Amino acid sequence: MNELILDVEQLSACYGRVEALIGVSLQVARGEIVTVVGANGAGKSTLLHSLLGTIAPTNGRIAFAGEDISRWPIHRRIDAGLVLVPEGRRILVSMTIEENLLLGAHMRQDKSAVRREIDNIYDRFPNLGRRRSHGASCLSGGEQQMLALGRAMLAKPQLLMMDEPSLGLSPLFVSKLFELIKDYNREGLSVLLIEQNTANALRIAHQATVLELGRVAMEGDAAAIAGSARLQEAYLGGAAHEVTEADKRKWIGRRS
Amino acid sequence: MVAVAFTLAIGVLNFLNFSIPGIFMIAGMVSWAALKSGQHWLFAFGVALTASAAVGVAVYFLTYRPSSDSDPEVPLVSSLGFLVLLENLIVLWLGSDQQSYPALIADFNFRVGSIIVGGAQLLSLALSLAFVFALSLSLRFTNLGRQVRAIAESRRTASILGVNVGSVVPRVFVLSALFTGAGGILFAISYLQVSSSMGESIGFKGISAMIIGGMGNIWGAVAGGLLIGLVEILSTQFLGADFVNIGVYGLLLALLIIKPEGLFGMAAAREKL
Ligand SMILES: Nc1ncnc2c1ncn2[C@@H]1O[C@H](COP(=O)(O)OP(=O)(O)OP(=O)(O)O)[C@@H](O)[C@H]1O
Ligand SMILES: [Mg+2]
Repeated sequence: MNELILDVEQLSACYGRVEALIGVSLQVARGEIVTVVGANGAGKSTLLHSLLGTIAPTNGRIAFAGEDISRWPIHRRIDAGLVLVPEGRRILVSMTIEENLLLGAHMRQDKSAVRREIDNIYDRFPNLGRRRSHGASCLSGGEQQMLALGRAMLAKPQLLMMDEPSLGLSPLFVSKLFELIKDYNREGLSVLLIEQNTANALRIAHQATVLELGRVAMEGDAAAIAGSARLQEAYLGGAAHEVTEADKRKWIGRRS
Repeated sequence: MVAVAFTLAIGVLNFLNFSIPGIFMIAGMVSWAALKSGQHWLFAFGVALTASAAVGVAVYFLTYRPSSDSDPEVPLVSSLGFLVLLENLIVLWLGSDQQSYPALIADFNFRVGSIIVGGAQLLSLALSLAFVFALSLSLRFTNLGRQVRAIAESRRTASILGVNVGSVVPRVFVLSALFTGAGGILFAISYLQVSSSMGESIGFKGISAMIIGGMGNIWGAVAGGLLIGLVEILSTQFLGADFVNIGVYGLLLALLIIKPEGLFGMAAAREKL
């Protein structure tokens, strides 16, 4: 078994009385892409924010690269390499494109490496490079997503968490984005990917977890989960009929 | 200067910091007291700035931090309390009389048309502009400056990106207090008098300048301040000294009706008040 970059045990979180996560356990091995899928309101964003530390979990333990980070402040987690590309991208529109990228690298001291990496991003996305000193509000949704991804990469992540990065992108941009995630993964980046676009996510992921109303409903090999017809109906397409308990049991435990 | 300090406080912290006029006064009075006891002016200014920064830190820990999750009105009221407290402390310590401030710069006046321009005033104007220029450069080009601007745009986004809001915000408080303190010293140098109530009218003018210039815009605040100064001079000149405030607040009123977001402001920034 590979070394685990992320090991989450029995994580619970709530908003007031609403229990958004109930005893969620999840592992990401170093170098893997793991995807978490589930319907709206299943608790996917809550999971990522609990991992980052913007939400304080009520229970559970988070180990990152072998260390218990459950009580670390957000900036320390990011410094250690646990970085989030947030839902809705959260580009800072009062700043230029370049300033957004520099902000992503604000914890780093190696100025010349940062410069090189920014230039690499410009090479990859000429649209960003050409407008580097323009306000970031001039970008299209897809370009903003690339900027958000570039900004996150500049924080030198070991595990990159992405919250619905394909939301609102054209099919062309979506496939570009997924190619890019695969590229970064091949270069050694571990990825925890949350997606509504489940077909694409399951295609590039190694492992998958299905969240349902704050609980893990299924987990296992991404290809196997993608192949489950029942799952397709219940979670990935319309909810035609319930997945039976027996089905769930079958898929849980596949993994180990 | 005061307008810029307010702008910094509101833009970044979403917090109308009413202790700013108090800090302004503290710097003026403390430097006066130090000068009077025979200290070198460098030392006096150093003490005054240190006192300003200390008050800034105290305001952060006593008013802003305990209430940063609650109602935005709470720190507003408690910082107003700080203003009252500071004024009364100074009254107890140094008395409430108007005190004359020693002239540190040889006085040289010259006339532009019918208006007399004081050399000391001109010098403090130049110094203020230099400080503001340095501030805006560092907001623009330094790492900390970018973090401050990120917090100003969205505190939540900034923290998701790993900006340590809990350490950047108190630094902004200190910076804003130092700025105000420098403003108080420059005011004392150019007008040659200080008193325990010198902060009040300046506070109103600072807020007016900020509103006129457009909230959250540093250079707007400077332009607003200069405009107010100009209107003051002109209305003294043409309407008489009694009408100065009518001129200034008339301008403010007119501007709020014509262009409520301020000369250089964005509409959204107004919500922050
Ligand atoms: N700030 C909040 N305050 C109260 N309840 C919240 C808040 N954010 C989320 N919730 C609730 O928590 C549950 C999980 O929300 P979460 O945002 O994690 O879902 P999600 O899986 O990311 O959904 P989506 O696919 O729509 O992004 C939902 O029931 C939601 O209503
Ligand atoms: Mg979500």
